[in-house]
Amino acid sequence: MQQFDNASAGDIVLSLADRIIENRAYLSEIDGKIGDGDHGVNMAKGFGMAADRIRGNDMSLASAFDTLGTVLMTEIGGSMGPLYGIMFTQFAETIEASPSIGADTFGAMLGSGLEGIQTIGSAKVGDKTLLDALVPAIEAFNGANAAGKPFADALDAMAAAAEQGRDSTRDLVARIGRASRLGERSVGVLDAGATSCALILATLASGAKQKLLKSATAGH
Amino acid sequence: MTGKTSSARKNGTEAAAEPIPLRYGDDPYVWACWLYYEDHMTQGDIAEIMGISRATVNSYLADARARGIVNISLEPSRLSSLSIAQELKRHFGLHDCLVVPSDDNTRPLIDRLGGAAAQALAKLLKSGDTLAVAWGRTVLAIGEQASVPGLQDVTVVQATGGTAANFAYTPELCASAIAGAVKARLINITAPAVVSTAEVRDMLLREPLIQSQFDALAKANKALFGISSLRPNSTIHTSGFFESVSLQQYLSKNAVGVVAGRFIDGQGNPVAGPLDDRTIGISLDMLKAIGLRIAVAGGFDKVPAILASLRGGYVNVLITDAATGRGILNADGVTELDQKLSQRPRVDNTIALPSNYRTHIKKFLNDPDDVVEEMLDGVVKAHAAYTKPIKGSNRALVARTGPRPGKVGLVIGGGSGHEPCFLSYVGKGLADAVAVGNIFSSPPPGPILLCTQAASGGAGVLFVYGNYAGDVMNFDMAAEMAADKGIEVRTVVTTDDIASSPLEDRDGRRGVAGNFFMFKIAGAACDRGLSLDACEAVTRKANARTFTMGVALEPCSMPQTRRHNFEIGPDDIEIGMGIHGEPGVIREKMMTADAITDRVMDRIFAEMKPVAGDRVAVLINSFGATPLMELYILFRRVEQRLSAKGVQIEANWVGHYCTSLDMVGASITILHLDNELSELLRHPCDTAVLRIG
Repeated sequence: MQQFDNASAGDIVLSLADRIIENRAYLSEIDGKIGDGDHGVNMAKGFGMAADRIRGNDMSLASAFDTLGTVLMTEIGGSMGPLYGIMFTQFAETIEASPSIGADTFGAMLGSGLEGIQTIGSAKVGDKTLLDALVPAIEAFNGANAAGKPFADALDAMAAAAEQGRDSTRDLVARIGRASRLGERSVGVLDAGATSCALILATLASGAKQKLLKSATAGH
Repeated sequence: MTGKTSSARKNGTEAAAEPIPLRYGDDPYVWACWLYYEDHMTQGDIAEIMGISRATVNSYLADARARGIVNISLEPSRLSSLSIAQELKRHFGLHDCLVVPSDDNTRPLIDRLGGAAAQALAKLLKSGDTLAVAWGRTVLAIGEQASVPGLQDVTVVQATGGTAANFAYTPELCASAIAGAVKARLINITAPAVVSTAEVRDMLLREPLIQSQFDALAKANKALFGISSLRPNSTIHTSGFFESVSLQQYLSKNAVGVVAGRFIDGQGNPVAGPLDDRTIGISLDMLKAIGLRIAVAGGFDKVPAILASLRGGYVNVLITDAATGRGILNADGVTELDQKLSQRPRVDNTIALPSNYRTHIKKFLNDPDDVVEEMLDGVVKAHAAYTKPIKGSNRALVARTGPRPGKVGLVIGGGSGHEPCFLSYVGKGLADAVAVGNIFSSPPPGPILLCTQAASGGAGVLFVYGNYAGDVMNFDMAAEMAADKGIEVRTVVTTDDIASSPLEDRDGRRGVAGNFFMFKIAGAACDRGLSLDACEAVTRKANARTFTMGVALEPCSMPQTRRHNFEIGPDDIEIGMGIHGEPGVIREKMMTADAITDRVMDRIFAEMKPVAGDRVAVLINSFGATPLMELYILFRRVEQRLSAKGVQIEANWVGHYCTSLDMVGASITILHLDNELSELLRHPCDTAVLRIG
């Protein structure tokens, strides 16, 4: 069974931070079309602050997620701070006790992150929010896992579904958040939250796959 | 055709335009381009010759670029160094980056880096700065080439102890050269950089003179240093600054470079070794605490050392050369750069823009990333009579007089960019504390909790803020945290923007300039000693009776990008604009001030349903860039409409009360008064922007 060590996987969160920081301008640009244009800036700030605390400390994936979630939740503000904050702290809680992470643990982690978001936010799939990327991605992951596909394949399915979900927001009318006041005028523009969410999931998938490859070549 | 002498008139024909000369093959684009680029005529002269308008000339020239008739290219080595600088800045999140072209071999690299850094220093160094200067060949080269006149009160501090080593770029000389170049006061560290034992170091550091020199070093807000590699022949080896025996021990622990006399590994982590306790000079932690950290280094042998110092976060302004820059990026896994350079689109197919078109808005800024912090520094000083930071945090301000035992505390807050909202509505008789977020972004729970604790007088705390998803989440979290600490919190979320959703969804509306009234009413209720229940109830009533609608004429621009965050067409306006620059709900053609006011007042009347004899308070609020002159024109019409209905204006305010950065536009707010609200509105208050009684 494919799995990777929790203890040495904290650097996955550093690559998450890198990707978010790289896409700072892009995320703000799409946010600016129907939102207030600060999504990239705030995300880059939060992920950057978390990366500073993680870097060099040789953290487990669980502690790195916890560090990221706590920074986002308590120090960033806005709506993305609490939403992503709760997602990552839930991730951390779910995998905390698992020395190695297999597909089942990973799936449970995704599920609890989504639950966390749903406890504080009221959005549903189709409202043009990050859930439009997150929910289908989790479904794709669990579907592949249930069908007996290898962990790595399930991760690929997750990333692909997240990107598809992100693209689906282009045709949606915003129903929640500031963009919702625009009604039909929000159609034709990607949702910034769904875009950052797809980016996070894709980076998470490739980071986890690299760890799997390393565990495999290390002979266990 | 008198009065306009045109140098462009070549063959003296008057009046009518020339036919297209044969050589341009009947193509007006080519003709226009020839006159512009080859004959160097102005667009006005070309317009006259061709018999077309200036605007058409302009669009010919722009189209000609799009069609590939004209190619504008940057000289390749410059293009390459600009791209590398941009990529370094982006990849490492630098404050700034300067890359000198590599193919200029007429001067040694050290001189070229020194020259570039000297110019950069002139831009980066400001009056009042304290600059820590480390030593090295490159730093000395900067000192020799720099000349920054006109600065005042600059201090240069030598970043490490001195040395007797027999080379030209000792720490003393480097600091002195830079100090001379920028006309700064020089503070040397009058101790050796490396001493014989840890005891000697500790003793020296206890000397009052050396202590005072280190105090000066700790005040540095900018640092200038080179980066040394540990390869053979590097400065570190040849200078004799460190004993070679010790160096071996650092090398065996994978040290790859030296920054300000301290060893780091490939990831930028400090490497411990025998010299650490014997070194007198700036520590890596001290260096990292300095705001602007300018590293000047180049040469291929230094790639690992520079990369390590970038990874370690010791550098936020890098000055290097193109080959080194490219090497650093490649070493860190950036491979797309070369593709980017070769795959640049050949034609610029953007829409034709007039030559005076601007994409960036001018703003009074230092570092755009510091805009909120610097504003708060100013606010805290300017409003010192009314507010003070809570536990040293400018993000949470409490009224100097206001919170008191037995009184319900009023906590307000929200994103920045709406000044004087929210932070100027704190003081006696109004809010007790305010939590301040980033631009257009809710504060996190931390500062809100600080405010809650500071405002609490044991009778509970009332939160009043605008209805935005982020604010609700963060204030709710803070309320829970306060409850855990035994403070009862009630919340009134303001929803006065009638354009933001239909009446059926009143609770889903956003809170905008009407906050001004809700804060005032809530503050008065709290100040009068009403119970938490009563304060909450009257604030809810004020919210239910406050109606706002905004109109934007031009978008606002974000300090971070200095660009508009959306566009409004040249002849368009947006009705229903909120205070975050989110586009409005209806876009209309521009109309007269009275017509706009009528559109707004008709909507307000439809909901407010006033009858003759009713009393109101009016707020005409600028979104930032609309002047008072125009606000009074709006007020004039609002007054006409109200008095036509026999409605009496009991109080009014016209000005900047809840802005949206530099948006052009205004909002109109009507508070439908009753006796209780009227009395609370008149209750005395004393804040930075509102004083009653």
